[in-house]
Order: sequence, then C-alpha cells, then structure tokens
Amino acid sequence: MHNISWESVEHTLDECIKCNICTAYCPVSAVTDRFPGPKYVGPQAQRFRDIGQHESPDASVDYCSGCRVCNDVCPTGVNIAEINARARAEIVDKRGISLRNRLLGRNETIGMLGNIAPTVANFALHNPLSRILAEKVMGIAKEAPLPRWSENGSLREWLQRTTRKRLRAPKKVVYFHGCATQYYEPFVGKAAIAVLEHHGYEVIVPPQNCCGLPMLSNGEFEAARGYHQRNVATLSSFARGGFPIIGTSTSCTLTLKEEAPELLDMRDEASEELVHGTWDIFEWLRELHEQGELRTDFRPLAMVLPYHAPCQQRAHRIGKPALEILDLIPELDLRESRARCCGIAGTYGYKTEKYQIAMDVGEELFSFVREQGPDLQYTACDSETCRWQLEHGTDIASRHPIEFLAAAYGLYDLDKRALL
Amino acid sequence: MIDLLVIGAGLTGLTAAIRAAQAGLTVRVISQGVGSQLWGAGTIDLLGYLPDHTPVQMPLVAREQLPPEHPLRQVDAATIDKALASVQDWLAAEGFAYVGADQGANLWLPSAVGAKRPTYIAPSTQAAARLDDPAPLHIVGFDRLRDFYPTLLADNLRRQGHDARAHMLPLDLITQRHDANNVHLAQEFEEPARFDALVGSLRYVIKPGERIAFPAILGLAKHAQLVADLQSAIGAPIAEIPTLPPSVPGFRLHNALSHQLEKAGGRVETNMKPLEFGTEKSKSEKDNITWVATATSARPRRHYAHAYLLATGGFLGGGFNTDHTGRSWETVFNLSLTLPRHRDQWFRPEFLDPAGHALFQGGVQVNHAWQPVDAQGKLVYGNLWAAGNLLAHADAIRSRSHEALAIVTAAAAVEAILVQHQPAISAGSATSSRT
Amino acid sequence: MRQLQTEILVIGGGSTGTGVAWDAALRGFQTVLVEKRDLTHGTTGRYHGLVHSGGRYVVKDPRSAEECIQENRILRQTHTHCIEDTGGFFVVTPEDEGDYPDRFERACHDVGIPCSEISIAAALKQEPLLNPRTSRVFQLPDAAADSFLATHATAQAARQAGATLLIYHEVLDLLLQGAEGDRRVVGARVRDMTNGEEVMIHADMVINASGAWAGQIAKFAGVDVKIIPGKGVMIAMNHRIVNTVLNRCKMPADGDIIVPIHTVAVIGTTDEKVTDPERLRIEPWEVALMLEEGEKMVPGISRARVLRAWAGVRPLYQEGFSGESRDVTRALTLLDHRQRDAVSGFLTITGGKWTTFRLMAETTLDKACEQLGIRRPCTTATTPVPGIEQGHYWLGHRLHEVEEEHLQPELICECELVTRAMLEQAVQHNPTVTLDDLRRDVRLGMGPCQGGFCTYRAVCILHTLAQNAESPPPQASSPNERLDSAWEVAYLQSPAHNSKVPGKAPASTTSITSGETSTPIPSFDANLLLRDFLQERWKGLTPILWGQQLKQERLDELIYLSLLNVEHLPGEEATSPLTDFYRYNPQPEQFPVNPPEPTEESSHD
Repeated sequence: MHNISWESVEHTLDECIKCNICTAYCPVSAVTDRFPGPKYVGPQAQRFRDIGQHESPDASVDYCSGCRVCNDVCPTGVNIAEINARARAEIVDKRGISLRNRLLGRNETIGMLGNIAPTVANFALHNPLSRILAEKVMGIAKEAPLPRWSENGSLREWLQRTTRKRLRAPKKVVYFHGCATQYYEPFVGKAAIAVLEHHGYEVIVPPQNCCGLPMLSNGEFEAARGYHQRNVATLSSFARGGFPIIGTSTSCTLTLKEEAPELLDMRDEASEELVHGTWDIFEWLRELHEQGELRTDFRPLAMVLPYHAPCQQRAHRIGKPALEILDLIPELDLRESRARCCGIAGTYGYKTEKYQIAMDVGEELFSFVREQGPDLQYTACDSETCRWQLEHGTDIASRHPIEFLAAAYGLYDLDKRALL
Repeated sequence: MIDLLVIGAGLTGLTAAIRAAQAGLTVRVISQGVGSQLWGAGTIDLLGYLPDHTPVQMPLVAREQLPPEHPLRQVDAATIDKALASVQDWLAAEGFAYVGADQGANLWLPSAVGAKRPTYIAPSTQAAARLDDPAPLHIVGFDRLRDFYPTLLADNLRRQGHDARAHMLPLDLITQRHDANNVHLAQEFEEPARFDALVGSLRYVIKPGERIAFPAILGLAKHAQLVADLQSAIGAPIAEIPTLPPSVPGFRLHNALSHQLEKAGGRVETNMKPLEFGTEKSKSEKDNITWVATATSARPRRHYAHAYLLATGGFLGGGFNTDHTGRSWETVFNLSLTLPRHRDQWFRPEFLDPAGHALFQGGVQVNHAWQPVDAQGKLVYGNLWAAGNLLAHADAIRSRSHEALAIVTAAAAVEAILVQHQPAISAGSATSSRT
Repeated sequence: MRQLQTEILVIGGGSTGTGVAWDAALRGFQTVLVEKRDLTHGTTGRYHGLVHSGGRYVVKDPRSAEECIQENRILRQTHTHCIEDTGGFFVVTPEDEGDYPDRFERACHDVGIPCSEISIAAALKQEPLLNPRTSRVFQLPDAAADSFLATHATAQAARQAGATLLIYHEVLDLLLQGAEGDRRVVGARVRDMTNGEEVMIHADMVINASGAWAGQIAKFAGVDVKIIPGKGVMIAMNHRIVNTVLNRCKMPADGDIIVPIHTVAVIGTTDEKVTDPERLRIEPWEVALMLEEGEKMVPGISRARVLRAWAGVRPLYQEGFSGESRDVTRALTLLDHRQRDAVSGFLTITGGKWTTFRLMAETTLDKACEQLGIRRPCTTATTPVPGIEQGHYWLGHRLHEVEEEHLQPELICECELVTRAMLEQAVQHNPTVTLDDLRRDVRLGMGPCQGGFCTYRAVCILHTLAQNAESPPPQASSPNERLDSAWEVAYLQSPAHNSKVPGKAPASTTSITSGETSTPIPSFDANLLLRDFLQERWKGLTPILWGQQLKQERLDELIYLSLLNVEHLPGEEATSPLTDFYRYNPQPEQFPVNPPEPTEESSHD
C-alpha cells in the first residue's frame, strides 16, 4: 500500500481535462480492445480507486505497457503511466502475483543463475521444447525475444580480469551497468568504459543491485523498494562526493532518477542525492560536448543507421543526446525514428497474452526501419529489451549508441561486439 | 546555442517555428504535450462573430469593427492573407488541400450538432459540406461512435432550411474493433479494403445530387487518396464533419505541420515543462533572457537561445493559471496579465452570453514589435516575443478567431524577430539542432 | 379538469415527503404525492450526503443525537445500497482546544454512540492527508448516503405499496372547507408543469412536507408557518481526497465536515439566513471559508482541484423565533394545525435532517392516524426498499462492473462511468424533463468535465431514441403517465445490470406492475435540453472556476462554441419549466465581502 501525500502521482489526476489526446496517441489501445486507453485506466479510473479498499475494482490497467507515450503527449501534465503503475501494484497487493510475473521481475537473480553455466542455460532456455513448455506452464510467449547469457562471462568477471589494465586517473566517474549488461551484454559495458577512459576518466564500478524496474512494472513494489534502498545506500555516497553515476541502460538510469523515488514515495535526502547524481551516458557526454571537452577524433562510419529513442529514454525529457553526439561522426547517415514504441516495454511483450500486442505496436518501428533501405547493417537504440525486440521484428542487428561511438573512436569492433 | 526557442507547439508555435527555420534560423520548439490542434476542428477560423454577436460574412472587412487593441487589428490585411496562404501552401505540400470561400468570405459549415459554423479556411473535405451549396446532405453516422450523431445534425439543418437526411450504419462495417476512439478508427480506415463494405451499403441508397457527409474519421496521412477513392467508388461528393476531441482533422494538421517543421530543419521536443529561466543585462540596458530550464527525470535542463518566442496559449493552452484567491500568473516568465483582479468580475451569469466572459479578454500585452510589455507599457525582456492566444484583448473562442489569430500573430512576431536576429548572426554559433 | 381522490396527499418530493408517502402507503392508506419539479430537486439533492452517527450533536442536543444513531442503524438495513460505510473521524485539530473532546467522549458513551479513540498513527494510516498536527481522533459510525438514489428507492417502495407519485406537479392552491375557526383542508389544485394541465386532488388529510417551501404551502390554508430558510454552501473536490467522513471535534460550525461521497469529497457547510429558497447565491467569502476551514483538517486541500459548488436550503423552523438561523434547532417539528391553528386535515412536517427522514415520516403518520382515528402501526423500520441485495455501495462499484462486463466502449459520461444503456433505461423509466433529471438518476455530467463531453452525447442519444420510437408519443404525454408505469430504480446506477437488458425495462423481481410495457419515449427539444444543461452546469461552476477547473471550462467552451456552435442553434426562444431557475446565477455585488462575525456557539447539521 502506498503512502499517499500531496506529492503522490495519483493527485496529478486533477490536471486531466478529459481530452483523450493520450488515448489517441496510445500505441497499445491503437492495436487492441483489451486496453481501454491511458485516460480511462489512469486519471479516470483513479477516481474510483480507494487505496484502503478490500478489493481492486479494475483489471484492464494490466494491459498498460508502461511506455509513457501518454505522459509525453498529455498537454496538462498528468503522470498517467505512474498512476497506472501504482494501480497495478494495488492489484498485486490485493490479488497476489503470478509466478511468471514474479520471475520476470527478478532478472538479476535469473541473470546470476544462468551465468553459472551460460552455455547450459542458453540451451535450457532457448531450445524449442523448453520454449513451448515455458509458454504452456508459465505464459511466456514462445516467440518472444528472450536474451542469451554472455558465454564469455559477466561484465564484473571481465572487470576483475582486467583490473590492472583499467585507467587510474584523478577524474573519476561511477558506472551503473544494470543487469542486462552484467549478464547478457557485457560488451556494451566494455564499450562504455572504453569511451569514458578515452576521455581520461577512471571508471569506478561499485557493487550494485538491479534498479528494481522489472518489479515496479510487474507491481511488486515492496521487493523493488528493497533493491532501490540498497542502491541508494551504496551509490548516494558517490553522488555526494561529486562523482557522476553514469548508466548505459536508459531504463535503469530512469528508475534511479525518477521512477523508483516517485512510485515508492522515497523522498529522503540520500534518494535525492542519487537522483541528482545519476546520468544517462549520452546526457553526460552531451554536457561534456557543451563544455567543449568531448573528443572528436572520430573515424568515419559510412552507413545508414536508423536510431530509435526508446520510450524510457524519452521519459528522461532530455531531448535525444545520443542523436546529437552520433551526428558528429563523419559519414554516419542517422535516420531518426518517430515510432512511438517498439512494443516490448520491458517484460510486457514476453507475456503470452501480450506478445501479439507488442508485435503489433512495434510494427510502426519495424516498417520505419525497413523503409530505410535494403542493405541496413544495424539499428541503434539505447535500451536492451527494445534492441532485442527490434532484432526480432526486423532481423537486423541492433546496437547501443555507445557501441557506435566506441567504434568511431577506434576502440570497438561493431561486428564482433568486442574491444579492439 | 540556438537562434530561437519557441515555447509551445500549438498552431502559433509550430507555424512560427516553420517560418523562422525557413528564414534560416536554428529553431527548437519545446512543449509540455502534443499541440492543441487535436482539440479543434482542424479548420482555420478568422472571425465568425463580432462582439455584438453579428455573424461575419467578410472577416477581413469586419475586422475593422473589432476594438482597436485587438491583435488582429495590429496587422494589415495583406499580411493576414500572406500568413494564411503560406500555411495553405505547407499543408498542400503535405497532401492536405485547405480551401476558402470566394472573395474572402467566410465558409459556413455544419457542426456535429447541426449548427452553421463560420470558418475562413477549411480542409477541402470539410468545405465539401458548405451550406451555401444547395446539394442535399446525406449524413452518415455509425451506431457505436459516441462522438457523432447524424439524426440531430440532419434535423437541425432541416430546421434551418437545408436539405439534409440522416443515415445510421453499423460501426462493424468499418471496423472489427469495439473501441470508439476517432483517431484509432481513422488509422484503421487506412488499411486496404477497409471501406468496401461501406461502399456496398451506401451505393444503392444514395439519391442523385446528394453529398455524403461522414464524421471526420476518413484516414490520417492517406486521407486525400482515401477520399478520392471513396468518392469514385460511391459516385458522390464526400464530406467530413468534425467530431468532439480528439479531432482527426486536428491530428492530420498537427502531423503535417510537424513534418514541415522537420523539413525546414526545426524540431519539437515534447514533455518539456518550463521551470525557471535566467536573465542578464544586455547592451541596451534591458534584461535579456539567457536560458529557459525544463524539468527532466532529474536536474532541470537549460535551453540557451538568442531569441525566445512565448506561444503557450491562454488558460487552455497552459499559458496562464489562477488560484482561488483570484491571483493569476503567466506560467513561464511571470509576465503581467491584464485580467480582472477579482473572481466575481470574471464571468457573466449565462454561459452562452454573446458578450463572452471578461476573464478571457485578458492576457499578455505586447508592443508594436510583439514584445511583452509590463503594466506601464515598458518592454520586459529585450529578446522575448509573444504570439497567439495568450495575447490580451481577444477572446478568440468567442469570436471564432482561434487559428488565424495564432497563425497571423506568429507570422508577425517572426518578422519582428528577424529584424533583430538575421540568420547571419547565428552562423558561427554551435548548434544542437539536427537537420 | 382531472379529478383524483385519495386518503392522504403529500406535498413535496424530497426525502421527507417521499418517506411520508412510503410510510402512508405501507400503512395501507391511499396515497398521492405531488412535487413541483423532480424528486430531490429541492434540499435533499443539495446536501453533502452525511449519514450522521449522532456525534455532531451529542454534546449540544443529546436527544437529536440519539435519534441519529437509531436511524443510522435502521437505514443501513433498509437502504443498504444507498449507503457507503465510510466510517467517521472526529478530529481535534490545533484550533480545537478546551475540554470539548472529553465532554464529547462522555456524551457518546451516555447516548450509546459507539466511539473509540484511535492513535494518530492509525488515523494517518487510514487518512494520510489528515492534519498530522491533529491531537486526538475518535472513530464513529458516520457514513455517506446517495440522497438521489435513496429517495428514488423510497419512492419505488412507496409505489410498490400503492402510492402514486406525481412529479412536475405544482400546488396552485389548497382546497378548503368550513369557515374561519373550523376550517378543513380537503385537497389541492395542482398543475402539471410539463403541459399546463390542472388536476384537482381530493384528500382526507394533506401533509405538507415541502421543506423550505412549507411556509408558502401553509399560506394556502391561511396558516402562518414561519420557515427560516438557512442556506448551506458546499463544495465538491475533484476526487476522493479522503475516504472517511471527517468532522471537527468541536461545537458544530461552518466548514467543519468533509464527506467522501461517490467520486468526490464534499466540504460543508455554511449557514446563512435567506429570504427566498429559490434564489440562492454563493458568495466568494463562503467558498473561501470552506477551503480555509477544510485546510484545518486536510492541509493542502485548498490547492486541489475543486469540481463544483452549490447551495442547499435547510427548512429550519422554530416557533416564535427571530434570531440568527444558525441558532435554530435542528430537531424535527410536526405542526398539528388542528390544534395550533384550528385547521384540520392538515399537518406540516419540517425541520430535521436527512438522517432522520424515516423517523419524521413515522411521527407524521402516527399523528395522521390519530387524527383519522385509525390505528395502523409503522413498518418502515423493518421494510427494506428494493435493491438492498446489492450490499453497501463502494467506490469501485461502477468501475468494477464496467471492467467485468467490458462496457468501456459504451461509456457516454466517461468521468462518472455512465453507459449508454443506463442513460436509455433511465430516460425510458424515469420522467425526464431536463438532462438534470438524468443527472440525478445516473450521475450524468457530475464528473470533472461537468458535461463537457457527455452533454452533447446524451442530447443526441435522447433525440435519436425519440426519433426511432415507433410511434412518436403525442406532446401531451405527461412525464407522470410514464412514471405511473413500471418504474425500476433499484439498479438505476448499475452499469452491468443495465447492459443486460438493452432497450427493455430492467427485469424486476419486486415490481408490482405486471404486464406493463416500458413507457413511450418523450419527444425532446434537443436544443433546449442542451442549452438548459450547459447553463445548469455553468451555475455551479462560476463560484469555483480557477486553476484546473478553469482550464477544463475553457475546453468545454471550445467544444460548445467553436466546434459545435450551440449558441446559434435554432429554437433559441424555447424554455423549459427550469430554464429560469438555471439562469438565475447572480454575481456577488462586491468583493471581498466579509463573513458575518461568528457567534460563540453555533449550531449546524
């Protein structure tokens, strides 16, 4: 149960003037009747919810993917997506949570378990038989783009191996890698560390937890609170000391900055310090650029590159810094996607009953990519689950923008996804 | 640093940004949500009624009867014509034909409840329902569509002497969806073969000479082609009548103008809530604005520009706010407003009083160069301009001037900005705007 | 002229009059009720919805408190679905000093009102926005009632017991017999407001239950009843800021209650003596006072969105009283005009409060029986009205049903979750002269946008319905002829129930009328309905338009002026029986006007 104050997101329902612009733009209600739209499940339904009630009156809010397009287009400033997230948590609180959603919320644990024997884990997870089983037993769509564990070890294992090679310097930043980089895509972390070191920064990677977002979006607020509290405990001291905390997973940085404190009503001093100390990597690089400190020793990258700013990135409300920075790379022909959402929305598209909705939502993006020409090598996107969905929907490899930047600095092989 | 930061993505902000970008300025538009076009009919109203409620036939002539301080009196007729014509050109380039009546007269079009509404320029599909055309209107509605009802519409038109009849069809003819959002329906309408069943059920009930009027849900980007196809399949002229918000014609208008802006090299960033701004003394001893900061997920983000255009609209757009004490304020720069101080002076006893409510005559006062001035008439900031429905002395909803007021004052303000900020000035400045 | 013969004629269709008709019919009397507008149009439909536990009066007027707790217990049984069991807090804020809380606690104990003091932490857990500087909190069995639904349900019960209810029937005169000093009231001449037709109603006993209008009715009998109309202003917040009834633990005064009712929270109320119960205006200081007082219990409330303001008028009566209205007793008063004025066949029931309406009816009928020389016991306390099987109302009720039945595409009033079927059922089974009547039936237009979207939709649906009716009814068809046929209100507010019987009368298990078909759809002047309702909504908005609600109003203006151009629809000259009432919306003469100086101990309901 939430501790309601005047700052709570629920009170932003007062801003709603019922114009339904959010519904007009909602990518989910555009493709399915199961989701009656953000205004309906958000500010409208909220007037019929009483946090003390023994029963949650509604169910369709579960079909909100949490993409936040509604927040983006709302002319009056209703925090619709957050109202929905809290309503979902109320439902979980009253009716409990499925094993599937509990599992999907725990990607850190799953990542850790698979990392013990990644090859076995990949086989166990990805063979057709177990996918059918997972669909039948758990309700995880058998076609959904689940990640593969890194078979070269986790990012932390790499960091331990390369401790002596890492740059030591007076200028220091903290790196928040998130679970996906840690267990599935350590190369994104390596690219980020290489770029930061290229600018003369020592990169500190302190112990860290899952940011808690998967649990927040599956309505498990109390478990998420534990994760966030531990992150606050370990990271806020760095923020206090003036070290920027930089992340490559844009959903993780969004959670640390805003989603967790807002949804969990955590407004204590340490949480605030973490909020103000956290940066999305390109947001930070843009600052560097605006101060004239971004290195421009780029090699040309001659290619057409569709770039999709994912929903969680847009939710930062910082513009599209990755686009601005990548635009500095010679010969890189960037094509900006206007698609609303790729559909996956974290773990939403993994669920059997939502898989097709996610694919239908993503079609806007997939067709944009297809329209950019037949010989595309890559697409770029700041969020891991969105990249997996993009690859699933287009059969074109997708990379984090930092991988392109690292490649342009001559530090990284885009094909092999490895440092040079 | 960019040349021009436009605050607000309504018609004022978008058209100003397009003009400025086309003139060579680097432009960014920030807005709190998507623009306000989705609230309106997608038409461009110039002047429908005078303050004494006289219906206006020739808006450019009748304009002379507006109070001298009215924003539309601050520009000449040629400027108005030119400003509106350029918007027509941009929309035409995006595939949307916007037309007016002959010789500068107002168009009179049916509203969704069957009243005659005056407008100056309308999408050609809306203008196809013009009421000075004697051809009978066959108004088609869909049973589960909650924002459009042909029966009352046709009855009211008949009460006013127009030849009209209503025809209700099942919504299943055009969609398998249960959802009834106009924009979603319009989007679905673009899918191939979507209107075959519709054509089938209409072809044999149409009388010769009739025009077929639909709720405005006939497609989005492919609207023009769809209407042409529908027209030849049914064999009668096709018209659209705008529904309650969210408005499909408004959605098309918004997308078309946003695309024009992108083509001109500008961009819109949404979900940008202005929080604070910085100032400095300029050479002319007048304060200049140095940055405007917007809320992000963490720390405020500063937008630096040479010039700033305030286009946040009035009460509806979010340009002004008020509280229960009767206090009112302009929301970005805290400019002074010409509103009645006490709440009891704000409204008239009757909602539909032709004179309108005093509160909505209030707003931001500007000088001849469209720069905000204070209560004493003194310039407030050297590099701030204002345009659109936040301007004082016009209740554009009451007078049916909403869209033209936005477009015309935006054009005039950009002209004034260009006097001070020639594109050359910014040639050497770093740009964060992408083309 | 039409003639009707009955044993008992009740004047007034508020909670009291309807309760009297119910009681009379249950006792086996032939009963007719007349109301000049819609049921609950007067004071009943303009109150905050508090079902008193008695705590509010327990120190000052223990007898009244005892009545309240007794009726509170009964109504939970007889009108279950009209009541939300919110519970109530009596809170001691920093402004409330002295020994009142101790006296309060003792008095509750003495009267037998369950009252338990709870910790501030527990109170804040239940009501997080409660003033954290509150020093004590007592928990009492207050509740919230839907006074529209409760009166409709009572009216249905009355009909089922044989009563005839004639709404939109105004009393023009009382029928008198005998000379001065031995006068007898034998009926009333009334007029059907919808078609101007006059009806003569002959009765053995006329009961004046017209509340604040009781003086005007009594005058027809040559009897002087001095009603002191006490205006109370209430403001509804845009959403349920609290979910428990909050009362200040002190002597009752202005702005010291917040009642969560349906989707809103109502701050009430003021008490100002007025001269005309029809012409009420809301002064800015009254709105400011409500918010200021609300702040003391819920700090921050004055910055939240206000939905609407309205004023109701209490029928206060005190024999020979000439002071301030706030000092008039709240006890019920039954005037026996035979004894008091030597006019027989005539009783006036006034004073009291919504919570005790049943008791008022019982008292009145006991007296009527005595005067008619018939002994018939009252059974209302043990006879539930139709619909109680739905259980207590809960906030999520409508949303839950809409979700379960997937009725989202059917919503016409999206704010209050009114489906098309609810609207169509209500208009076919409840007399509808204005959209405001439908508002009272199904809550149409009562949400944040105040009719911004649903006024247009509802008018068009009604118009289409009337056009599609196979044989359009003659214009003379009175709403009451429709009323007299099958009338089902028990499930009026249930989206799910109405969705299951599209276009037909809801199946009723309790209906006494069998074989009756649904009533014909009246033909509406749609443009008039539209204009009337926009003006009706506007009237309650003007006192509170600022902030978000002003933005909403501007969107509504854009819709009705720019998009629909409703002020240029044909038929501008047409008026309804209520057009003038809606247009009376005076602006205060000056601002700020200071409120009158508060008196030491004032009394409120």
